[in-house]
Amino acid sequence: MTGEHSVGDADRMGRRLAAALNPGPGGVRVALATAVAVALALALSSVLVALTGGSPGRAVKALYDGSLANPSAISSTLLYAAPLLLVAVGTCVCVRAGVFNLGQEGQVLIGALAGAAVGLRLAVPGPALLVIAMVAAALAGGAWAGISSLMHRFRGVNIVVSTLLMTFLAQQLVSFAVNTEWLLQETRRGGATVSPQSNRLPENGLLGSFGEYPGLQINGGLLLAVLAAVVIAVLIARSRWGFRLTMLGLNPRAARHAGVRVAALSGTALAVSGAFAGLAGAVLLTSPVGTNRLQQGLSNNIGWDGLLVALVARNRPLAAIPVALLFGVLRSGGGFLASTGVPHFLVDVVKSLLVLAFVVPPVLTEALRRRREGRGAATDADVPAAEPKEAVAS
Amino acid sequence: MTDRDGLPGDGLGHHGGARAPALALRGICKSYGPVVACDAVDLTVHRGEIHGLLGENGAGKSTLMKILLGLVRRDGGTIDHDGTPVEVGGPQEAIALGIGMVHQHFSLVEPLTVWENVTLGDTGKVDRARACEQVREVGARYGLPIDPLAPVSRLSAGERQRVELIKCLRRDPSVLVLDEPTSVLTQAESAELFGVLREVVAGEDRAVILISHKLAEITTATDRVTVLRRGRVAFHSVTAETSAQELARQMVGRDVSLRAEAAALGMLPVERRGGRKQEEAPEPGVEPALRLSGITVRSDGVPLLDDFSLEVAPGEILGLYGVEGNGQATLGDVLSGLVEPAAGTIEIGGTPVDPARPGALHRAGLGIIPEDRHASGVVLDMSVADNLVMKSLEGVSGRLLIDRRKTHELARRLATEFNIITSSLDNPVRSLSGGNQQRVVLAREMSANPSVLVAAQPTHGLDVGAIEDMYLRLRKAASSGVAVLLISTELEEVMALSSRIAVISGGRVAGLLPTAEATAERLGMLVGGVAA
Repeated sequence: MTGEHSVGDADRMGRRLAAALNPGPGGVRVALATAVAVALALALSSVLVALTGGSPGRAVKALYDGSLANPSAISSTLLYAAPLLLVAVGTCVCVRAGVFNLGQEGQVLIGALAGAAVGLRLAVPGPALLVIAMVAAALAGGAWAGISSLMHRFRGVNIVVSTLLMTFLAQQLVSFAVNTEWLLQETRRGGATVSPQSNRLPENGLLGSFGEYPGLQINGGLLLAVLAAVVIAVLIARSRWGFRLTMLGLNPRAARHAGVRVAALSGTALAVSGAFAGLAGAVLLTSPVGTNRLQQGLSNNIGWDGLLVALVARNRPLAAIPVALLFGVLRSGGGFLASTGVPHFLVDVVKSLLVLAFVVPPVLTEALRRRREGRGAATDADVPAAEPKEAVAS
Repeated sequence: MTDRDGLPGDGLGHHGGARAPALALRGICKSYGPVVACDAVDLTVHRGEIHGLLGENGAGKSTLMKILLGLVRRDGGTIDHDGTPVEVGGPQEAIALGIGMVHQHFSLVEPLTVWENVTLGDTGKVDRARACEQVREVGARYGLPIDPLAPVSRLSAGERQRVELIKCLRRDPSVLVLDEPTSVLTQAESAELFGVLREVVAGEDRAVILISHKLAEITTATDRVTVLRRGRVAFHSVTAETSAQELARQMVGRDVSLRAEAAALGMLPVERRGGRKQEEAPEPGVEPALRLSGITVRSDGVPLLDDFSLEVAPGEILGLYGVEGNGQATLGDVLSGLVEPAAGTIEIGGTPVDPARPGALHRAGLGIIPEDRHASGVVLDMSVADNLVMKSLEGVSGRLLIDRRKTHELARRLATEFNIITSSLDNPVRSLSGGNQQRVVLAREMSANPSVLVAAQPTHGLDVGAIEDMYLRLRKAASSGVAVLLISTELEEVMALSSRIAVISGGRVAGLLPTAEATAERLGMLVGGVAA
């Protein structure tokens, strides 16, 4: 039928997931279930650590030492938290609109690629270079996600699938760029071998920090991310744009009925999500979390983890702030934990368990509620709709 | 009920009166709570005959067939199959007994091929070659040619109907039930279908029950006819001995005006407001508030709305009456801006509106209570206040952000005015009763001061009090000069509220008449797709 796109199953699933994850009623029950689930996850994690020959107590200590024990550990946690939060904030926007973007990892890389190209090629003096690189990264990430949106609009390609696949394309693009001399590969100096990476960004293209190592260091990226979270939270809760976005996510038919330009708005939401991921890529490139060079592994799963942050925060940008910090702790502490002998993959297992503990309870309560309602609706549907009135009339 | 065993003249495949009927339902009763869906229904169907089952929405046809197929448990009565009492526990048991049904809405799996769909539900090893052969063989025998390897998604509605028929006939049923089989078929496809049915009963001594509301079909294709009305057998006859007029009268009810009067008095303790306009057709020369001309919507080549034209004058309630599935839902979607018509124009207050532009209809002054309020009327998980203002966000916004205070002020005013009962305006609409949800929709639509109000099945699923309230408010809207288009499948509702009644049939306006002149016969004929 005209105007109605064939929505794939995955999209519908995404929408249902979105509806289940958006903040809704029944908070107390969900909170209780979450607490139980987190306790279970932690218990299971301890068992796993013990089984692999470690001591749970020592593991927790190592996690703490690596992430929170001293100012430099905290600084490293915060450095990880910033790009995670940016990705998560963008994800909140698109999931709110019922669009499920799975391509943040690729959008982070494309953002970093654009940021590096601008930062290395453009000879702009002063901090203007940083600003331009950031804007370029955001635009590139948004455009990259926008391609998926266009493919959906004009060819009906499923967004979940296309954003995911575009990630692998992005990885190849970055790899090509840092392995190709005339693109972004680092300049050959004498007879030294060159690595598959770009030159280091000039000083005026880097994000500044408050505080000095080994003291507490707060990078500009974190401030940017927190600011983004607050602004998006206000926009979602209070603006007409946010209202329409929420309406679209919860009931696209009603949204269209109420005059929302559905295709345009969902396209924008996806692009915004990509733009935030791209910005996260620029932060990864320009903050001291890495080497300030474009590398293949630069994104380092920040895109995936950022998506998880949004999941755990149930698409609330403000809730994403503490969750991003928690994930930062797991990242910086996880590195430290690995150096004490606990297998590194175990950190990922613990992380996954925690994510499940946060994500499953709301989805489960929602599913139970649906089932209850479904049962009620089924018995209602058996009654021929026209009959009650006739009974009354006769 | 007169139950004669012989058939008139033709004696198609009928071997005297001694043989037990293929199917005999006696005294079937079914109630849903206080609602009686079937009240002592008798139905006897013989081998070698096509038996028409005629009735409006909610007459009990579907319930009766669900009981026959074991989908619904009956409260009382007996079912005899070939003279033996049977208990049907479910559709699979019905099939085993030799009772097959083709549902109105096809139950085919679109991505699967024809032969896969036909064998779906079989047990044992899948034998593709044999299944394909069987599809071809059954198809050839009944003149239902179909490629067994074609995926169902590529088939037209008529071809899908063939697949459904083959699926049933392959299992060699003694009784075949078809529910509104021609609702999606073209004229030629319908003729082909009836040819096949005639062969099935005449050549193979099966019995066919044809459920329909189309009088022409019943009179031309059936041997006997039973008319159900409000859960009871209203009429029973050999088809050749009755007429379309008689059937129309029986289907709608002899006492149509009395019923409308009773509904109006019993359920509406208010005096008729704007009575002058209620009783009279709008004066010629008055510019219609809503003018639909030539609206056409097609889906897979089948017209859902076919050159649909209608005018509604300011201050009148025009009832659009018809049996469900004749284009009402599509019309609602068009007027909600959800479906863009392939042809035709919508004019509001004389100005053409492009329905494809989001919100254009709303801005032009059209308010609508959609048929499926859960799907497009409200956002269940948003608050009552948000649902009340969602179409007028500009009005409750400051320069940048939505003003919470203004939102609540407007919502509180509307809630009071329209008597929306909720403990808090911040509760999700999901927590409200159906009547209150419907009031939220009405309040929102009326708050924009529309010149046209479309109410599609506005009282579906509501309790008596809420229905009363809805009627009152629709009348109030009309008396304040709003043009009200009431789309309804319930005759009492249409008769009680509207000054003129248009009948929709097959996506077209079959006829338009003042309520005072609406007799059972005329309405029944129009509903049945016969010009009155």
